[in-house]
Amino acid sequence: MFGSKKTKKAVNTEVDLVAFISLLSVCICFLLLTTIWIQIGSMNVKQAVGGQAASGKPKPEMWVVMDKEGELAFKLRHAPRKFVKTFGNSKIAGVDGKPDFVELANYLGKLTGAYSDLSMALIRPAEKTPFEDIIQVMDVFREQGIQDLGVTPL
Amino acid sequence: MFNRPLGQAGLASGAGFGVKGKGKRNLAATVMLTSLVDTFSVLVIYLLVNFSTTGELLYMSEGMELPAAAKAIELERNVVVKVEKDKLYIEEEEIPTTQLVKRLLDVKQNWEKYYPDTEFTGAMTIQADRRQAYDLLSHVIQAGGHAGYSDINFAVIRK
Repeated sequence: MFGSKKTKKAVNTEVDLVAFISLLSVCICFLLLTTIWIQIGSMNVKQAVGGQAASGKPKPEMWVVMDKEGELAFKLRHAPRKFVKTFGNSKIAGVDGKPDFVELANYLGKLTGAYSDLSMALIRPAEKTPFEDIIQVMDVFREQGIQDLGVTPL
Repeated sequence: MFNRPLGQAGLASGAGFGVKGKGKRNLAATVMLTSLVDTFSVLVIYLLVNFSTTGELLYMSEGMELPAAAKAIELERNVVVKVEKDKLYIEEEEIPTTQLVKRLLDVKQNWEKYYPDTEFTGAMTIQADRRQAYDLLSHVIQAGGHAGYSDINFAVIRK
């Protein structure tokens, strides 16, 4: 600009990508070897008999009896009479020896939509009920907002 | 000689086959390092997100399939009672069905010895195959109740 003949020095620097790629490759190998792909969780339950502390007013609760043919029978306790009348004594027939989970979700959706105070369910499986069916029933209850679950021993 | 990428090599023009009057074309391809680094970075981030720091809490036997659940919570370290092929195990040690309450009581009383640096919370994890019938699970739940383990956790696979 002012007639100087000095050339400007380059200020750009190059990042050594080869070392960076090596580092990333080692990281990927380590993580691939040590990552746990199956995520194990837990379903927390209480013992339905003898597990609750005695309190003044009993909380509304739903009793679910699982039949060995997959039939589910419901009994609503300590709830207002109009809800007991509507939802109190219901049954959902099993499908191919398993509980009808779609129908169960529909039933619980209607129940919790009408009566949101219900937060406890006690499940009583049959002697030969598979563990998987019990867990799936619990899962449907939790999905419909009923969080406090218990199982009764035989 | 190797300064130009393959795209400019001009194989179709006959370069490299003795055609006079034209210089030798470059056949070396340059690797796109930037996109490679990007891919590696995404992979590392994905694997880091999935990386579990809690460690392996359960030992899965061959052929055992846990039931799946969407509303599962994180598994915590406590006493694991495994039900496998109608046999009971506490931390991989086979226990006769009739001795379960006694063994659970022993674990509770000597908690510091079995699980140092942790406190007894009354929690117990039951690990069973998804096809397991409830009768034996009921026995484990009852035994846990008798021994003071009122908080029952069923091990499941998160959906």
